[in-house]
Amino acid sequence: MILINCPYCGERDQSEFSNGGEAHVARPENSENLNDKDWGQYVFYRDNPKGIFYERWVHSHGCRKWFNAVRNTSTDEILKIYKLDEKQPKLDRFTNTLKTPSGEPKVGSGNFTVKK
Amino acid sequence: MSALDNKKCSYVKKNKKIAFTFDGKKYYGYKGDTIASALLRNNVRLVARSFKYHRPRGIYTCGIEEPNAIVQILNEHNEPNTRATVKQIYDGMKVDSQNRWPSLNLDIGSINNLLSPMFSAGFYYKTFMGPKGFWKRIYEPIIRRTAGLGKPPKEFRSKSIHQNHNVDIVIVGAGLSGLIAARKLIDTEYDVLILEQDSFIGGVLKNSNKVEKINNQEVNKWIKETERLIKTSTNIKILKNSLVTSYNFTNHLIALEDKFAGKAIDTSKSELTLHKIRTTHTILANGHIERFISFRNNDLPGVMLASSFEKYIHRYGVIPETNPVIFTNNSSTVTLLKSLVDLDHKPAAYVDARDKNKIGKKLLTYLKKNNIPFYTNAEIEGCDGNKKVETISIRKNKNKIIKVKSEMLCVSGGINPDIHLFTQSKGLVKWDDKLITFKPDVPFQNTITLGSVSGNYNYEKTNDEINNKLSFLKAKNIEFKIEINDTNNFNIKELWETQHEKKSNWSKSFIDLHNDVTTKDLKQAVVEGFDRIEHLKRFTTNSMGTDQGKISSINSLGIVSKILKKQISEVGTTTYRPPYAPLSFSAIAGRSTYEFYDPQRKTPIHNWHVDNKAVFEDVGQWKRPWYFKEHDAETMHQALQRESKQTRQTAGILDGSTLGKIEIKGKDALEFMNLMYTNPFTKMKPMTSRYALMLGEDGMIKDDGIVCKFNDKHFIATTTSGGAPKVLADMEEYLQTEWPHLQVYVNSITEQFTTFNISGPKSRDIMSKVFTEVDFSNENFPFMTFKVFNYMDTEVRIMRASFTGELGYEIYITPNHGLALWKRIFHHGNVFDLVPYGTETMHLLRAEKGYVVIGQETDGTVTPIDLNFNWMIGKKKKDFIGKRSLTRSDTAREDRKQLVGIIPLDKSEFIEEGQHVVERERIPDPIKTPVEYLGHVSSSYHSPNLNHCIAMAMIKGGNKLMGSKLFVSSSYGTKNIPVEVVSPVFIDPENKRLIS
Ligand SMILES: [Zn+2]
Repeated sequence: MILINCPYCGERDQSEFSNGGEAHVARPENSENLNDKDWGQYVFYRDNPKGIFYERWVHSHGCRKWFNAVRNTSTDEILKIYKLDEKQPKLDRFTNTLKTPSGEPKVGSGNFTVKK
Repeated sequence: MSALDNKKCSYVKKNKKIAFTFDGKKYYGYKGDTIASALLRNNVRLVARSFKYHRPRGIYTCGIEEPNAIVQILNEHNEPNTRATVKQIYDGMKVDSQNRWPSLNLDIGSINNLLSPMFSAGFYYKTFMGPKGFWKRIYEPIIRRTAGLGKPPKEFRSKSIHQNHNVDIVIVGAGLSGLIAARKLIDTEYDVLILEQDSFIGGVLKNSNKVEKINNQEVNKWIKETERLIKTSTNIKILKNSLVTSYNFTNHLIALEDKFAGKAIDTSKSELTLHKIRTTHTILANGHIERFISFRNNDLPGVMLASSFEKYIHRYGVIPETNPVIFTNNSSTVTLLKSLVDLDHKPAAYVDARDKNKIGKKLLTYLKKNNIPFYTNAEIEGCDGNKKVETISIRKNKNKIIKVKSEMLCVSGGINPDIHLFTQSKGLVKWDDKLITFKPDVPFQNTITLGSVSGNYNYEKTNDEINNKLSFLKAKNIEFKIEINDTNNFNIKELWETQHEKKSNWSKSFIDLHNDVTTKDLKQAVVEGFDRIEHLKRFTTNSMGTDQGKISSINSLGIVSKILKKQISEVGTTTYRPPYAPLSFSAIAGRSTYEFYDPQRKTPIHNWHVDNKAVFEDVGQWKRPWYFKEHDAETMHQALQRESKQTRQTAGILDGSTLGKIEIKGKDALEFMNLMYTNPFTKMKPMTSRYALMLGEDGMIKDDGIVCKFNDKHFIATTTSGGAPKVLADMEEYLQTEWPHLQVYVNSITEQFTTFNISGPKSRDIMSKVFTEVDFSNENFPFMTFKVFNYMDTEVRIMRASFTGELGYEIYITPNHGLALWKRIFHHGNVFDLVPYGTETMHLLRAEKGYVVIGQETDGTVTPIDLNFNWMIGKKKKDFIGKRSLTRSDTAREDRKQLVGIIPLDKSEFIEEGQHVVERERIPDPIKTPVEYLGHVSSSYHSPNLNHCIAMAMIKGGNKLMGSKLFVSSSYGTKNIPVEVVSPVFIDPENKRLIS
């Protein structure tokens, strides 16, 4: 269980929060002008990378506020937490700070507990 | 040839004798004994039968790593799978062995041993394949009975509690390194928590005489001094009997504390405490575990790990056997040898796989001087005996085997740093060629390893290691001079399995004692292609027992690497997963059991329902009346027919308090409601209400309810009973994330109102009698309007609405007035034959009227168009959630499943919910083309008002199939039931009753 620093309440256990998937996917304003494919892209497709990910969280068993986080999905390290009205932090701020557990390769899972 | 007390040992307080039973027989032990040490003291060698072959097994170790001596504690809710080597005895304890019938000595399951060719690697996968149906009826019951661990505990209530800690430093293990680290941290700025699995501190200092003195002090005195200093310090706390089972992300550790170690449990108190610990730094000083060597019959009772034998002597003061044979491939057994000699008990033989150079002159001289038979470059071929070791065969060189008589054989195959927690924390390990084992390399979290877990087997160097590794902390250097008993550096020869002769089917060389996996199974699995270690583990079940192969998993890597001709570091290890040792479900559950786990929610009318013979149904956490029994003999069917008939004839009332209610207020409430729901609310008049639908962005129906409009700035929406939290959360999400510019406040008011639904032709009469000041006439109180007024000194809201198709009203009142109002309604309603009804009649009545239930007719793949709800869609609205999806090519298809009604052609037949709707009466024989599936029956009831079965179904292109004949499959009979597709509205399609 990881710790999440709610921007309104402070650091709390992950069990108080719910994950809301990829962040910065705005609901299209003029959906009637979109074709099926583009609308389908908004409704059905979300990114789920291994590595750095901008995602939404809600403090569902707390203040019930939504906020954004930058998380390394392979280490569960939360690199940045920011409110919805704050600017999306740039990706290059986070590169090279990564370490993956067990020295796993970037793609796919596997068991590499032994250092090569 | 039997066990003796070690009179020099101070740990066991000999003045206190304790009586306990094992398999019904009474034994005595001392206060502080584990079940295992007490049984050894009583010369009990046979303590268990093995998992598959039911072979006789004895006590193999002296700790958490025990693979054999696993027992059931009868007087602790029948607690199964308890390690006899850990659990302490107390007066009156009742212990039973497991997996034997009728008794340990005579076990019928041991015939499995003779059938053993059947039970080879992967036998579960190969043997229990068919014929069809055999698994459930034959195989599973047999496997459950014979291949097993203990019996499940009897019903009991866990009183375990959970406790949270937030500290700066956690030290796992209060052995030599853990205690020195603690001494360094005394009276520093850090909050320190020490977790020790034993009931005492000291670890190796008490388990052996490997360390003689610390700063010229006897070790026992040093331990006492340390304990006192920790106790008087302000910043360090010790938790004893607390085993760390998990090391999770963000330095989060779970430890299980046994509050009743060595004591009879008190059922009124919490037995276990689950500690959830957050720390900044974790110091792992959790030591090492000795491993065994595989040889012929290495599982016979009497074979024991050498360091465990040593622990029994020093920690528990019992010498399990006075003249054992010692078999080693490393230098760690010297202290055991010396301990025995010092106690005037010479080993029957000292067998060392190493050559003379490695053994060293010092030890060789010692062996000679003390006249101990010793063999270098030698190994144990195997051992024999009847349910215990009697003869031990020593391979002196290639062809020469010598037999020695002894009842115990102490084995050491080397020492493994206990890397379990370190790898759980995602640290990397590496292979050490000198130590022949894995040791921690790069930590992933803030983890420091100290002492033998880090691969430092030299106790003299502990002090420097700690000063070095903890130099980043604000703590002074410490100076402890550690004097040890044997000054040789650790050295070892690689040896996993000895060369052995096959004597009979009974001869086996085990790699996993717990799960009965032999070295032959490993080899066979590799031959069959399972050459990846993770596959091999699952296929053979090697190291998958409750001991997780603590004494043997590295050995299996050694053996496999030899077969594959690879380095062990290339073979790799399997993944270490939490928990480190089994932890009871009751500890995880804590107080979250029964009603504390899932609270029951009751409406203010609940007790009245109970008094009136309601049968309850669980709806989410709510208890709702399902139906009411008029008398005890009335069946559910009879009750439903009575309740629903009477509601349509006179009037019925339903306790609808569980219905979700959300209040929406604010400057932009109207705009928000127009976006959230499909319906247009702009032109809706104040104080009116509307049936409304909420969709997902995919256009599928998510929830429904009635929306009441007070004015453009104030709405109330009802939701389904289970959907309220989700609808509220969705509203909050959109307000925060998509439309933060809207000034709207949403609030759950489900509990703020008790709600009744009264309906039926007499409901107006009843309402007029109860609320005398309100005009209920059609002109002044038309359908889908509502009124708010004062009544019984509180606010009452009444809405004219109906879920039955009859004239009906929904009454809202504050909960503390609910029961009084309910009784008053009956006071006036009895004259009109008012009947209380439950959820099942509600469903029946709505089905007669063709009203859908979200979650019954819909399943997340149904659009409003599929339900012919086009009239509810505000097409002129620019946007609402899901609007764009309604015109997606897939949603606009005409052959989607659509809502229809169906009735059986033969009115005496009954259609079952969930059955398939098809085109053909019979399944063709033989089947040439698949029978096409048209849809399914979503609701079906016997209608008392029409006196035949009515059903609703979702059928492909249903709207175009009106009047056609189809078939519905059935769970009884061989034929499908012929049905006619009709409108789903069976009663009052003109809404005459509704608006009367
Ligand atoms: Zn919060």
